[in-house]
Amino acid sequence: MSYAYYPGCATHGLSKDVDIATRKVFEALGLKLVEVTDWNCCGGGFYDEKDEVGHVALNLRNLSIVERMGFEKMVTPCSVCLHSHRLAVHKYKENKDLRRKVDERIKGTSIRYSGKANAEHIVWILVRDVGIQKIKERVKRPLTGLKVGAYYGCQMLRPEEIMGFEPAFNPHSLEDLIAATGATPVTFPAARSCCGFPLMGSNPQVGIKLAFNVLKSAKDQGADILVHPCSLCHLQLDSLQFKIKAEFNLNWTLPAIYITQLLGLAFGFSADELGISNLAKQVLAQKGVI
Amino acid sequence: MSLQNEEAEVIFKIKRYSPEKGSYWQEYKLKVDRFTQVTEALRRIKSEQDPTLAYRASCHMAVCGSCGMRINGEPRLACKTLVLDMVKKYGSNVITIEPMDYFKPVKDLIVDLDDFYQRMYKVKPRLYPHKEVLEGKAEHRLKPEDQRELWKFAQCIWCGLCVSACPSVKMDSEFLGPAAHAKGYRFLADPRDTITEERLKILLDSAWRCTYCYMCYNVCPRDIEPVTAIKKTRAYTKLVKEKTPVIATGEKHIEAIHNSIMETGKLDEAKVYLSTYGLLESIKDFIYLFQSGKVKYALVKEKPVENISEIRKILSGENK
Amino acid sequence: MEKVSYDAVVVGAGLAGLMAAHEIASAGYSVAVISKVFPTRSHSSAAEGGIAAYIPGNSDPNDSPDYMAYDTIKGGDYLVDQDAAELLAYKSGEIVNLLERWGTLFNRQPDGRIAVRYFGGQTYPRTRFVGDKTGMALLHTVYERTSGLGNVDFYFEWFAWELVRDESRVRGVIAFDMRNMLPVFFKAKAIVMASGGMGMLYRHTTNSYINTGDGYAMALRAGVALKDPEFVQFHPTALYPSDILISEAARGEGAVLRNAKGERFMARYAPKKLDLAPRDIVSRAILTEIKEGRGFPGGYVGLDLTHLGEDYIKERLALAYEAAKNFAGVDATKEMIPVRPAQHYYMGGIDVDITGKNSDLIGLFAAGEAACVSVHGANRLGSNSLLETLVFGRETGKTVVEFLKGYTEPSSDIDKEAEKAVDSAYEVIKSESGVHFGEILEKLRDVMWDYVGVFRDENGLKTALSEIMKLREEAKKVYVLDKSKVYNTEFYNALELKNMLDLALVIAQSALNRKESRGAHYRLDYPERDDQNWLKHTIAYLRGNTVEIGYKPVKMTKWKPEARVY
Repeated sequence: MSYAYYPGCATHGLSKDVDIATRKVFEALGLKLVEVTDWNCCGGGFYDEKDEVGHVALNLRNLSIVERMGFEKMVTPCSVCLHSHRLAVHKYKENKDLRRKVDERIKGTSIRYSGKANAEHIVWILVRDVGIQKIKERVKRPLTGLKVGAYYGCQMLRPEEIMGFEPAFNPHSLEDLIAATGATPVTFPAARSCCGFPLMGSNPQVGIKLAFNVLKSAKDQGADILVHPCSLCHLQLDSLQFKIKAEFNLNWTLPAIYITQLLGLAFGFSADELGISNLAKQVLAQKGVI
Repeated sequence: MSLQNEEAEVIFKIKRYSPEKGSYWQEYKLKVDRFTQVTEALRRIKSEQDPTLAYRASCHMAVCGSCGMRINGEPRLACKTLVLDMVKKYGSNVITIEPMDYFKPVKDLIVDLDDFYQRMYKVKPRLYPHKEVLEGKAEHRLKPEDQRELWKFAQCIWCGLCVSACPSVKMDSEFLGPAAHAKGYRFLADPRDTITEERLKILLDSAWRCTYCYMCYNVCPRDIEPVTAIKKTRAYTKLVKEKTPVIATGEKHIEAIHNSIMETGKLDEAKVYLSTYGLLESIKDFIYLFQSGKVKYALVKEKPVENISEIRKILSGENK
Repeated sequence: MEKVSYDAVVVGAGLAGLMAAHEIASAGYSVAVISKVFPTRSHSSAAEGGIAAYIPGNSDPNDSPDYMAYDTIKGGDYLVDQDAAELLAYKSGEIVNLLERWGTLFNRQPDGRIAVRYFGGQTYPRTRFVGDKTGMALLHTVYERTSGLGNVDFYFEWFAWELVRDESRVRGVIAFDMRNMLPVFFKAKAIVMASGGMGMLYRHTTNSYINTGDGYAMALRAGVALKDPEFVQFHPTALYPSDILISEAARGEGAVLRNAKGERFMARYAPKKLDLAPRDIVSRAILTEIKEGRGFPGGYVGLDLTHLGEDYIKERLALAYEAAKNFAGVDATKEMIPVRPAQHYYMGGIDVDITGKNSDLIGLFAAGEAACVSVHGANRLGSNSLLETLVFGRETGKTVVEFLKGYTEPSSDIDKEAEKAVDSAYEVIKSESGVHFGEILEKLRDVMWDYVGVFRDENGLKTALSEIMKLREEAKKVYVLDKSKVYNTEFYNALELKNMLDLALVIAQSALNRKESRGAHYRLDYPERDDQNWLKHTIAYLRGNTVEIGYKPVKMTKWKPEARVY
């Protein structure tokens, strides 16, 4: 079984470990990831504020390539890329005035979008297409005793009518995956609150407060570590751990790793193979996982 | 065509409040059918079981905006919620009802909405047409596509759900909130309005304080997409000369993204970062990155898009 | 008791109240607007179909204000005061253009002019609309505009309870701040009642929960007459079972009614206009179909949109589609929408003339659904209600301005009257036991629906009267369990119940007295219209427990009564 794979700019950039871990997990499950030929940036979740028509065109370009490659599902590990594409498709289909403008804009380009292809999150593929049972069967190193906060963030869930995979207010895909690894899923109040990444582009002081809220909420519920489904949450919650610690004068940190990094550990890969950060490695070692 | 009905007994667990008693939970049992709305359930509880239960509700058809509350934790209009739909969605015949978040409860499910109203008044929520037009001496017609675009944002029923669910509202007192922005944009974008400059002073800084979490889009019962109004408001930034730090940073950021995509078709994170924050901030954050062990990734150069001319064409906006 | 003074106090912040307030405040006078809900929650927001208007240069070339007046008069089964109908028609274009300039986002034609469509009872298309939410769009525009005037004070979530009067004038109104039960005496030179309708008297109504007829009862208790109180309009297509309005616009856009056999039964009741016949005719048709066994089990018929196509439905009938989906779980592109009649509008109201002035009490004015001018006569045409609120709201405002110009302050002190009004309200709080408001309310709603509804007859109406008298007696024992002062909704519900019991008596008695059928008032025992004896307005006063009924001639200008055939 193969899927068209859209990494996104972050996943090939500062969140490269997300790409590494995701590829390893999919390979272990016998699934092939075919990178979208000559893919372009989705706009980062921002581009539509500059040029709504251009944003839709950018995203349709990727999907049109995916259709030419013979696929309908374009899987991505980045929630923002997921959201950007699905939003573009939704707008293109529902807003006649916008559709006219987009069609005008893409005249003379190679973009031919039939309406069939759309973006899907790798979590959806794992939970729905692969199934929890198959994932359980691949677990070589159960992560028993590890308390893992299930953090969803925003873009994978909302708006519910466009994302369509699970209810925005009581999702459980991540808890199911965590439980499959043998670890203990921890739900916490801020599990569906924004990590603040989009706000870093204009008002970083508040953006970082949002990140802090997420980590604190998970810590207060007893999580050792946090998993998330987004390359940009990865930047915010993983890379900026020390910034947050400094900013809020904390005597604790709560490492955040990407969901396939957790799955990869359970599948038997080493933390280094999965690109897991030093901070997370420390906690994992403490809990006897590695 | 016949209509199949179904019945069930449901337990309503309601979070009540009074200044004398404080907060407390109370449970009510009620038999409902497939069509029973939560507003109808509340009305029956009040009429048949407990006349002291206090809540706001009026039109029961999602147009007056009175009945916003949290049902099983979801910010919803009670009239737009069928009891059995929630029972099925959550797999339980216990329905929890609480007042909306963020606003202060004053009695049971009734909250103080003054905070919400103040936000709306701040954006000058009315049209200021030309004097001659107002006096009927001139006509300013509206194009059908303009009417459609504006009407989308003008449907706000002032229910308060979006503000109650917004994380930026809670964190940032300078942020006007989603509803006010939808309202503000409706007038900002109206070609007949004459106080654009004043509106930009009110709206623009606040527009850059939204975190794009799509919570407002998700909870809005009238499909208004306040976050879309905020994005469209940001597009007016180039018209403003005096830029606050938030506006300036935001503008640099979006320009950096645009330039990066125009150049390579992808985001060069280092470049975007530098352009947005400047050298000093970037160095600080570089140190944090180093501590996290991420620097090795920062040095990887991503392959640019081969068909870059196509990208540039679709982003140029010009089409002959 | 606290007192505040204003030139004018408007009770009700719907379209009529806000238009009147806007007019009075623009002339420089101080205005207080009292509303038991935040203004945008007013029931004006529920109006869907649109607002009728003849706009020169933007109407059918064969149409004219006279034709519009004629349609209104005929639709009202000739009980309409024809000068009022003319005023409504002649001012319609002006008022729609004014609201458009204020920013109301009317749907547009390709050239940018306001779009227009048909509505039931119209000979030419006249209805202007904003999607399916014209009322909400207008209400928000008018509130936005009025809230920007500096000299209008809004008292929302204040419950207006009683008018205060001396021998000949109204002096003010008592209202409670719902947040803390603080009674305040609003002293005023002029009072405009714009408190809307009374649908909650009926088991099935499209109205909001707040429409409890408070204004009518306040007027009655102040010795003011209601005009044509027996005329209650029932809307033929309310969604089953929530009674949410399914707009007439659906039928205007091509939807058709079918019974359980799939027949387009309107052919039997209105051969020319079919599904677009006036509301009373369609309501009676549906109930007859149901009574004679051709309805669906549960008591409803089907409104069929399936032939209109998904795109068309989603663009022109979004609210009907959404309503069926959200409030009944039905997909209107695939299935018929379950509908049945429900109370919808009240043609009766506080007796005023074409200027909005009441003649029983100096200084009392009324506009909108709370008033009876009478511009709708025995039956209101669709899209005329929004028009009435704006036109007569404004006209009444103008009348108040003239009244205020010539106003001289009376000398008598009426504080004692004010105190009495507050005491009458507090009775329900003082008791420690008795009956809950809900027990009486539910019985009242059933009595009204069963006996004073779409079909009426002598026995039924007499039963209604005796039942209502019993409930009025029982209501003396109403008490509230909630003794708190903060947002004591039970207290206001008990006061609303008192209002409803006052109004119910007057409606039932007036219906019993009118021995003919006209417009929405249908007597099984007197099924014909009787112009010889009954071409007159009912004028009803409430004196204690007795309804005192008199009659007033209908004003005729150009049109003589014809048979009402569609």
